[in-house]
Amino acid sequence: MEKFWDLYADKNWVESFLVYSIAIFVLGSVMMFLTLILIRYRRIHRQTLVTEYQVTIEAILMGVMFSDSIYATMVNDATIAKLFRSRLFRDTLMEGTLNLHRNYEGQYAQKLEKFYAESHLIRDSFEKIKHRNWAKNCQGIEELAEMEVGQAFNTFVQLSKSKVRPLKIAAIKGCIKLNGTQGLGHLVRHKNLIDTWTQLSIIHALKKGDIETTKGIDKLLTSSNKSVVSLGLKIIQALKLSENTSAVINLHSKTENLMIKTEARRVMEKLENLN
Amino acid sequence: MLDTFTLGFELSWIIEIYLGLILLYAVTIMGSYMVLGYLSVIELKDYLTRNSFVNYEVLLSSEFAPRLSLIAPAYNEGLTIEENVKSLLSLNYNNYEVIVVNDGSKDNSMDILIKTYDLEPVEMELDIKLATKPVRGLYKSKNQAFKKLIVVDKENGGKADALNVGLNIAGNPYAVCIDVDCILDKDSLLKLAKPFMENDGKRVIATGGVVRIANQCVIKDGRLIEVNVPDRMLPRIQVLEYLRAFLLGRMAWERLDGLLLISGAFGAFDKEIAIQAGGYNTKTVGEDMELVVRMRRYMLENKLPYTVSYIPDPLCWTEAPESVNIFKKQRSRWMRGTIETLFIHKKMFMNPKYKILGIISVPYWTFFEFLAPLIEFIGVVITLVFLVLGLLNWKLFLLLLLFVYVFAVMFSVLGLLSEELTYHKYPKVRDFLKLLGAAIIEPVYFHPLGVYSSLLGYWEKMRGKKTWGEMTRQGFQKK
Repeated sequence: MEKFWDLYADKNWVESFLVYSIAIFVLGSVMMFLTLILIRYRRIHRQTLVTEYQVTIEAILMGVMFSDSIYATMVNDATIAKLFRSRLFRDTLMEGTLNLHRNYEGQYAQKLEKFYAESHLIRDSFEKIKHRNWAKNCQGIEELAEMEVGQAFNTFVQLSKSKVRPLKIAAIKGCIKLNGTQGLGHLVRHKNLIDTWTQLSIIHALKKGDIETTKGIDKLLTSSNKSVVSLGLKIIQALKLSENTSAVINLHSKTENLMIKTEARRVMEKLENLN
Repeated sequence: MLDTFTLGFELSWIIEIYLGLILLYAVTIMGSYMVLGYLSVIELKDYLTRNSFVNYEVLLSSEFAPRLSLIAPAYNEGLTIEENVKSLLSLNYNNYEVIVVNDGSKDNSMDILIKTYDLEPVEMELDIKLATKPVRGLYKSKNQAFKKLIVVDKENGGKADALNVGLNIAGNPYAVCIDVDCILDKDSLLKLAKPFMENDGKRVIATGGVVRIANQCVIKDGRLIEVNVPDRMLPRIQVLEYLRAFLLGRMAWERLDGLLLISGAFGAFDKEIAIQAGGYNTKTVGEDMELVVRMRRYMLENKLPYTVSYIPDPLCWTEAPESVNIFKKQRSRWMRGTIETLFIHKKMFMNPKYKILGIISVPYWTFFEFLAPLIEFIGVVITLVFLVLGLLNWKLFLLLLLFVYVFAVMFSVLGLLSEELTYHKYPKVRDFLKLLGAAIIEPVYFHPLGVYSSLLGYWEKMRGKKTWGEMTRQGFQKK
């Protein structure tokens, strides 16, 4: 203590403090400046690599789809095998595969799914959904859902209970992608609030998902979670599911929650206008 | 002899205390900047990660998207009003209306609007909740293509009064208040509306977006198509200043839930709460900050759970003053607005009843925004006195100066780094070097000018000035 007091009393600390602070600030500025240059360099380098990879990837995927090329033959080529070990290459390949899968159906889509499994891209996706980082989980869900990997459904259901909003949304959308409206059934037992943004994301996924059947939506109206009931009502209104009119009328007459009652009445009016 | 000795002893103590206080103040303000910068970086990273999984298409066609009323007050905007309104009508959003409030313009703004948008007077039953200057007439377009547009012609009453008229007329639950001459990003409404739907038990009463400088940027059909850094030093440094303020300041306040200011250029409000809180205050020139503080105060005093959200995406581009004279007017007005808001809400200062606002936000604004220019000015005067009296410790003085200078440069570089890591809006190497040059010059040119303008603000406030002052603009570079 005495030492500190002496240091304070002889005023030299002010000078030392200023000199050291200036040095730290200068060092900080230089470090940040160098980081900035490094980021720019890496961005450019990465972009160059991605552009290069895309040429190879295009050839690979075209081969898979139209020439029945298979992964086992591809990796006989040492250069390709080496590329497959690169994380950036695999990420770019994953992106390319998913993009193509979005645009093709039938046998072409199936060939891509087969390649996705054989090339172990599927393993990358499963690793992502088991990762501790929720952003990785979201990526994995999007990949597995797009490639229609049914065995991931139960994991999606578990992840849909997350309190992290984007993860919850991605997981529910994944469930819809894999199982249509049946994929929403588990929400009846959902404990947490499903906010309006999440509800609209679900509705958007249903609209975009080319859902074959809309059975089971009325079950959402039986949930004790009011936000799930509200979601059910919104889905019925947005998708114009007039076959659920009786369920909505039933809800309207039984519920004591004023907000749900109002929403149910609005949906009833909308459905009535349809007829 | 004894008296001289005593005087010398006391003087040396006064100098010591003075130097100690100045150093303490500098260290505190720098420390607070660093803490805010750190929190901002965390919040930014978090936001960008979350946002990378967001699909704004969800809102684009949804009948459940929040209904918005855009309120754009216009005063003597005849030169640009046609194009500006057109760009407001073509935003990516479904449920919205545009209310242009002509605040008694002396030019031909009204004639241009009537002619361009084929307007006709309409009768509307108005539910007047906020007292305003008389409304001369309401107009809607005969053309279905402009069915979203409502034009209000009213007597001049200032920006706050025009916004209150807009709030009275707005038919939707959320009011987006904008400057009519701002360039909005096409998706700005989608991004601004989203937080209102993320209600985790707390009511979102306001959201704000980042404002960037558009000087020398290229605009086509009311949209920004090329981002450039201005050649002129004054607007160029303001680019840097806005980067620091928005990326390294407001994001931190958002994280702390202590945001006091949503820029008047672009912000959305829960209309019901804005009206219940009393609407815009027409007696202050800082009506944007004052409304946010009053809405927050209203929620806290009524024990209603709420939050204020902030979006770091560059959603709105505005023209910064290019001349020193206009800059001085703008900054002195900002200072008057700050003084008025802090004075109106002085009850909140250090008052735990107002939680983080009372304990941190309001004291921060008082000490580091309101008092900082005064303290700096006093510092300069005392330094001059020391110089004249031969008491100045040159070595220490120069070290202190360098300490402050280097910190300012470092903080600007941190702002540039944040921009690089996030939005990367200035990819050209030339632009980046221009900004780096601005960071080096800022503490010796721009900062003193800002302090001087703020002192003018004190002076004007003491003299009772209440007007905005003319804000001449150069206009955007068009393609």
